[in-house]
Amino acid sequence: MNSFSLKIVTPDGLQFDGQAEELVVRTTSGDMGILAGHISCVAPLGMGQATIITEGKRRYAACIGGMLSVVNGDVTLVPTTFEWSDNIDVERAEASEKRAKTVLSDKSASDTDIRMAEARLKRALIRKNVASHK
Amino acid sequence: MAGVSTKEIKNRIRSMESTKQITKAMEMVAASKLRRAQTQVLNSRPYFEILYSTINDIVDSNRDFSSPYLTQRSGNRAAYVVVAGDRGLAGGYNSNILKLCYGEMAGKEASVLPIGKKAVEFFRSRKIPLLSESYTEAEELSVGDCFTIAKQLCKAYRSGEFDEIYVGYTNFVSVLSQTPATLRLLPLLREQTGREGTVQSDIVYEPDSVEVFDAIIPEYLGGIIYGALCESRAAEQAARRTAMDSATQNAEDMIADLSLKFNRARQAAITQEITEIVAGS
Repeated sequence: MNSFSLKIVTPDGLQFDGQAEELVVRTTSGDMGILAGHISCVAPLGMGQATIITEGKRRYAACIGGMLSVVNGDVTLVPTTFEWSDNIDVERAEASEKRAKTVLSDKSASDTDIRMAEARLKRALIRKNVASHK
Repeated sequence: MAGVSTKEIKNRIRSMESTKQITKAMEMVAASKLRRAQTQVLNSRPYFEILYSTINDIVDSNRDFSSPYLTQRSGNRAAYVVVAGDRGLAGGYNSNILKLCYGEMAGKEASVLPIGKKAVEFFRSRKIPLLSESYTEAEELSVGDCFTIAKQLCKAYRSGEFDEIYVGYTNFVSVLSQTPATLRLLPLLREQTGREGTVQSDIVYEPDSVEVFDAIIPEYLGGIIYGALCESRAAEQAARRTAMDSATQNAEDMIADLSLKFNRARQAAITQEITEIVAGS
């Protein structure tokens, strides 16, 4: 299978630099799959799971925020947070999920609190979901 | 050695010794913090660079849409994000960056979002409107905080509160050299990059260019602010290490000088005593 060069950089450093056969990421307008020879494109990333097939192996990661750019066949993923499934702290995600749920069930919470709790809940659920894929 | 008793010199030596111990300890703390900050800078640099070049590619190749982020406005209300340290005793680190930013603000209707206690104090005492005083701990700031700042600034920029946004930070060139700098974040202007026409504009934007651009810009700002913060933090520790190193050196020189004086004074006292005994017998 044809491969393309993929770079994944986050503020915490380079997460991946090498050849990949397939990449599926969640953009703001839905899942997007990239294969070798993709047209040049740019898309902002949403919150979701990223699937990367490299050397025939399938790897999963939680990928939140940032953007994806394909320029002349080189793929660069610039997410705000990117965690490989084996690096995810499930306990932390569960704690965060519980905290978010208490805020959401609290009727006196302000709009901003609710919006933040919703985002936190979503992130926690993605992390848990990705971690279960190991 | 007239007028200086041995006791006085001894006291001064003792006080120099304790000063030296403090500067030495501070140097060591700064050195270990520097190592951590340095790896952080090296880790975040590729992110910073790729983000910057991708955005510039988009700006360069864009011919078919206009965004508030791309148009220069006529006003001169500027917002400055200034990153300085939390503590002093770092040589010229704080004053260099603060003076540079303060100088650039002259003639502009500037407001400041200071990061670090020294920046907050500096701009407060000069009566420059502060956008927020909640970022007094530059060392504690996380990526999340940077994105919050970026979102807040973007919102204010879009609603027309500011015409320009700058970030002032200190570049960590090397352990021995740090240079303060300011960078314009918004608006993004094409001539700034100087590479017009090198990128073909056949990039597909998903869902469409304006939406992509508007979604990416806050991320870009957050990333750049985080990068600036990492650079500044490393620069602060490097500056402090150098300053404390030379302070320790100075203390050592003074101690050596004083010990010499002390020995001479002691010798003179002994000589005098002997002379008196000899003269008396």
